[in-house]
Amino acid sequence: MKLYVKAISSYRSDREDIDVKKELKSRYKLDTRRQDAFIHLAVLGAQRLRESAEIYENDELFLTSGVGNIDVIARTNIAVVENHQFIKPFDFINMLGNTTSYYVATSLGVKGKNIFDISDNFTYFNTLVLIYASLKSSNNEAVCGAIDLVSEYDEVFRRVMGVAQDIAVVSSVNYQKLSTKPEDAIAAVEFDTKSYTKEEIESLIAESGLKVYASMRCRDIDALQSKAFFETDASGWINSMIRDKESALYVESYNEKYKLLQVSML
Amino acid sequence: MKKSYINAYASESSAGDTAALMEAIYNKQSAITIDRSYMPQNPVGLGMMEYDDFFVLLNGVVKRVLESSNLKNFSNTLLIVGSSVGGMAESESHYFRDKNYKNIDPSRHAINVIADSLKKEFAFCDARSISTACTSSANALMLAKRLIGVGAYENILVVGADALCYTTVCGFHALSVLSSKECTPFNEAREGMNVAEGIAALLVQATPQEGGVELKGAGASSDAYHMTNPDPEAKGAMASMQKALDDAAITADMIDYINAHGTGTEANDRVEALGVATLFGKTYMSSTKAITGHTLGAAGALEAIIGCEVIKRGLIPPQTALKKAENEDILLPLEAVKSDVKYVMSNSFAFGGNNTSIVLGAL
Repeated sequence: MKLYVKAISSYRSDREDIDVKKELKSRYKLDTRRQDAFIHLAVLGAQRLRESAEIYENDELFLTSGVGNIDVIARTNIAVVENHQFIKPFDFINMLGNTTSYYVATSLGVKGKNIFDISDNFTYFNTLVLIYASLKSSNNEAVCGAIDLVSEYDEVFRRVMGVAQDIAVVSSVNYQKLSTKPEDAIAAVEFDTKSYTKEEIESLIAESGLKVYASMRCRDIDALQSKAFFETDASGWINSMIRDKESALYVESYNEKYKLLQVSML
Repeated sequence: MKKSYINAYASESSAGDTAALMEAIYNKQSAITIDRSYMPQNPVGLGMMEYDDFFVLLNGVVKRVLESSNLKNFSNTLLIVGSSVGGMAESESHYFRDKNYKNIDPSRHAINVIADSLKKEFAFCDARSISTACTSSANALMLAKRLIGVGAYENILVVGADALCYTTVCGFHALSVLSSKECTPFNEAREGMNVAEGIAALLVQATPQEGGVELKGAGASSDAYHMTNPDPEAKGAMASMQKALDDAAITADMIDYINAHGTGTEANDRVEALGVATLFGKTYMSSTKAITGHTLGAAGALEAIIGCEVIKRGLIPPQTALKKAENEDILLPLEAVKSDVKYVMSNSFAFGGNNTSIVLGAL
């Protein structure tokens, strides 16, 4: 399966010292009321993508996350249990994945299909497969956003994602504008639905002769690894390779299964 | 593109299993309970199931699908789960008891825990979770169709599952959309919706089996209009319905029955009725949420099963609890109608103007 990348955008909390909410208001003149940090992060990535991508009304929007908007769930439980309050309408609304999708869709002006895919393993890989299948049928283009938020409730994030206390966790958002057609593309991403064993993945890496990057879950693979954890790491590496104009492989693993994608610069 | 077929399914809702549910639908017997356990001062109508452990019930539904399918196991089957709140009910109970997150079971907390739990139990080849609130499992069905269409998988199990919890009941109450009685979709005088829980699982395959139904079309759109209210001109709803018709390569007049999203809220029912009247004119339509309540992320899958049953039985469900329709340009049958049903449309609409429609076709 192959998708063509027409534009990218990124933000990482350990690499840019900005107030995301203020950035949305001052730079993009957006109304940030009733939204929380997870939504702000998603919208920031979308607005940055818009600066370099042509967005069409019928574009399909696919957002993905490792654990989603965990902040609002924690905040709601605390309000109910500790403060004996009723659930606030906008806290309830912001809990739902498609609330984030709504704000992103509205800020971009897209009215196509709108999907929020969430998983603690291979979520970005799986979203790419869904996008490929969807675009093959519709011939539209897709906006793909990968969002992970770490906050004051990061103990929940760590427990749910299985991340040890000594590993740095960061907030990040990475977007790609994707198409099944190569026109105006800057890179291609190839992937499939298969999972591999460690031996199989090492063999594929050796055959390729390409530089290899890997998530922090692939400690046993000889590859350059991230120094901080976020579940949608693959999306960040794709953007990084494209910024560096580098064709390379990326490997992710979970429960001794491995998945591989290849970025080729055009 | 390869075709997709729904060859086996099973469900549980407040009305019981699929057979009991269909009996309740045709007999117009609401399964809604008026409950005060969540909010003692505010009675609300809820669709509640009986279980000790939601995950055990979930496993039972999936096991029934496997047993009625042509598969020996799910090792060559992709699992796609649609859920709006995932494991929130269990995490909530831990938090309410301990007042902290220390004892939350990470494997039963997030939205993807239903997929993770089923993957462990049944060894699916892979799994993913879609969370788009009330369209979650309808979107899962649409994506299953697309994945089979490009030949990525031969077998996909779509599961819609949501359990009642404090957050959903009190969250919808905070939005002032809950009814204190059994909901009355499309009635002129309606009070709101009934939050409910449900589990529905459908095996979608690339080859038809005896007794199967074709998953003929799917369409989706985003209103991008308002966070909680649908576009009052029904543009988004009509776009998803039209895209589903186009995908199925049929015209609106070929649809025999529409299983409406029909939550019983002011905004949804008004807009859906407008969209259906504009696009279809007088085609039979009813909302089975008058029986089950709104099973949120499970609704798309549960109502797809109802659509399959309507095709097989050739019997169009009546609109339960209808006294006077708000929109007289739609056709809401007061009693079940015997008919040769070839095509059924099922609508699912969610917050943020997230709209999905699917078309089911007789083999």
